Order: sequence, then structure tokens, then C-alpha cells
Amino acid sequence: MTKFAEPMARLIDELKKLPGIGSKSAQRLAFHILRSSDEDADLLAGAIHEVKASLHLCSICNNITDVDPCVYCSNESRNQRLICVVEEPTNINSVEKTRSYNGVYHVLHGAISPLHGVGPEHLRISALTKRVENGDVDELILATNPTVEGEATAHYLTKLLKRTGVKVTRIATGIPAGSDIEYADEVTMSKAIEGRREL
Amino acid sequence: MPLKQSEAIVLRSYPMREADLLVTFFTRAEGKIRGIARSAKKSKKRFGGALEPLTFVRVYWEEREGKDFDLTRIDSCDVLESPLTDTVDYHRAVALGYVAEMLDQLLPDREANDAIFRLSHAVLQHMRAGAIWMAVTYFDLWIVRLTGLLPELHACIECGAPLDGNKAYYHALADGLMCAEHKRLASSEMTMESRLIAAEMFRSPVEAFAGTQWPRQRGVDLRKFLTQRIERQLEKKLVTATMLEKLD
Ligand SMILES: [Zn+2]
Ligand SMILES: [Zn+2]
Repeated sequence: MTKFAEPMARLIDELKKLPGIGSKSAQRLAFHILRSSDEDADLLAGAIHEVKASLHLCSICNNITDVDPCVYCSNESRNQRLICVVEEPTNINSVEKTRSYNGVYHVLHGAISPLHGVGPEHLRISALTKRVENGDVDELILATNPTVEGEATAHYLTKLLKRTGVKVTRIATGIPAGSDIEYADEVTMSKAIEGRREL
Repeated sequence: MPLKQSEAIVLRSYPMREADLLVTFFTRAEGKIRGIARSAKKSKKRFGGALEPLTFVRVYWEEREGKDFDLTRIDSCDVLESPLTDTVDYHRAVALGYVAEMLDQLLPDREANDAIFRLSHAVLQHMRAGAIWMAVTYFDLWIVRLTGLLPELHACIECGAPLDGNKAYYHALADGLMCAEHKRLASSEMTMESRLIAAEMFRSPVEAFAGTQWPRQRGVDLRKFLTQRIERQLEKKLVTATMLEKLD
């Protein structure tokens, strides 16, 4: 085992904590940082510091934001009574890319995952319940992933919130646009038939 | 090297590097194997939903040589039955996770076990949204038996006195059931009803119990006793067993 000077070892240890970074990659990154200019190193350190200091969760929807409420929750031209529920903040981008959604969001920061010991109590649900119970919501669109975890989460939220009388919908699953039915697996195909609509 | 293939149950998958998944399969032909599914995380097209835990698949893989020889390369995976075909509620998700964690923890690598494979496959069909407890009880009983962890249920482990028709007790640190005289401090009772359930389940396939009303309370002591056996064997708590216990 190569011995590094203490500050170098510390940097490598910290980098190793990042997802997808093993010992080798961490060393490579650490040496890159060491060789870079003081200015670049300061910019990197500053950016890391800044992201933690200035970003937090929106008090209404749990989106990651530098202003509170976030840009969606404070936008009066958006339908504040239509809420799209997603697992992660990054999912918001996917919905925004459609440019056809004009409602707001709620971010759960995860999904029910029994194998990881994650139950409903570990998700950020209470703010959503409050919005629904206050009568601030007309419709909830559940846009969790179409996986076992995402489905279990959607099912749980439906059971929890439907009794308040709010309209709860689930995003459709089915054949990807532009693809060929011939290559669709059975589950996708049966979901597509189940979710058919009248023309 | 030629591709191998087998029916299999997907147990777990972990993200690896940028886009790959490390997947554990319980194959019918070769028991538990682990393999890397390249680009499975990035391009869902390649594997689709086939790598979701508890999917029943036909998996094609290639053995590798060298230092990573125990890590196969997953070539492709055809879905035979998906847990996503039926409604997934919280209870069912926990029950499915429980089967996956049990198999992952109890099965040795690369050792085929057709009886456990058939048990798992049969039980999964009966874990329905809103109705998991029959299948969980059946799975608990048989997995304990098939892994050789099932003690004698009809006699006290201390004195050998017959327990049928008498009260029986269990304890987390005891290896079987005890009579009223030999029970340990803070033992719990295992009801006669639950012991009869066990006897019945050992006589019949899981299908025989399909459609029977099975509230959570039914056989709860039996399940607790069986989980304790397994956790003692593994020398650790199962994450999903704790979650299962907390369900209402
Ligand atoms: Zn917000
Ligand atoms: Zn005794």
C-alpha cells in the first residue's frame, strides 16, 4: 500500500465517498487537483462549499432550491392546485422537458424500498399530506418510477390521500414513442393495453 | 465461451460504476450466481424491467476466467413472470423483499437447489396485494425445513415430552419448542392452532391454501419462531423481517 502525505490521504478518503469512485479513481482525481492551479482548486472548493451553504429544500415541495419557495411554487402562472409527485429532484427536469406540464411538484426524496429498510416513514410525505388536507389541491399526479419500489410508493400514497377526496392519478406506462410493438416485453405490453384510451 | 442459460429469480441489483448493475440471481441450474449487466442502468432498453427483484426470468450468461471468475457477464434476460403484472402495494413490496433477502442470505453461491427454487417460484404467485400472510407463512415454514433448520415440533427439546395437545413455548435462544415445565424465562407461547397450520402446510402444496382468509394474526407466533431460527443461523437480523413485523 502506497503511503500518501496526510492531506493527500484525507482528500483521497473524501473522494472515495462519492458514488462510483473507487480507490484508483479517487487517487487519480486527487493528483489532478494537486496539479491544478491554486485558482482552480479554490473554485472547486468554493463551489462545493457554496452548494451546501446556499441550497436547501423548498419548504412547500421539497425541491432543491436557492430561494424559498422554489421557482415552481412561487410562480403564479403555474397551476398551484395540480401537483406532480416525483421520487427525486432530478425527475422534475424530465417532466419540465415536456413543456406541457403547468402544475407544481412534490419531491419525496426516495421511494419505499424494503430491501434497503426504507418504509413510508422515511419519505418526505407530511408536507404533501398537509397541502392536500388544507384543500389546496385538485389533483395529484403520481409520477414515481414504474418499478416495484415506485409502484408500492404510489399505492401507499393513493391509500393515504384518496380518503381526503382529492383526485389521484398515476402516469401511464406503456410502449415508448417511436418504438416497435414487436420488441415490447410482456409486462410493458399488458400495461399498455390496460392503460388504453378511447379515441 | 458459450453462453449458459437457466430459469432464475432475480434477487437483488446494485449500481456499479456509471451505468452497470451487479445482479444476484437464484438460478435453477446453478444456484446463486452474481453477474454484471453492462449498461443496464443507463439503457433500460437492453434489460427492460427484467432486473427488478423477484422477476422470474430466463437468464443467459457467460462465465469469466481470471480473478473475477465468480462474477459472470449477464448477456440477456427474458421476463417469464414479472411482479409488476399484479398490483404492488406496500405489504406486497415488503413480502417480496423478504423472500429476496432470505434467499440472498441463506443460499450458498453456486449450489443448485431445485426444491427451494420450486418453493420460491410457487410462493411468489400467491403474494398478492392485500393478502400476503398465507404465502409468507408457507415460505417461512418450508425454507426453514429445506435449509435443515427446522426442529422437532411435536416434543419438548428439554425432556422429550409430547407437545401435541399440550401448551408449547418458544424462545429466541432455544433451538426448538419447550413444554410448560421447561420453558425459559420470557418465552412466548406457540398456539396449538399454529402448530396445526404447520402440520397442514407440510402436507399440502401452497395452492391448497389459495383463497383462504388469512389475517395477519393467523400463525404470527409460528412466523416469529421461524424467523428467529433463521436469524440465529445467520447471526444477524433481516432488514425486511423487521419491516414485515411492523406491518399492520
Ligand atoms: Zn417548491
Ligand atoms: Zn419439557
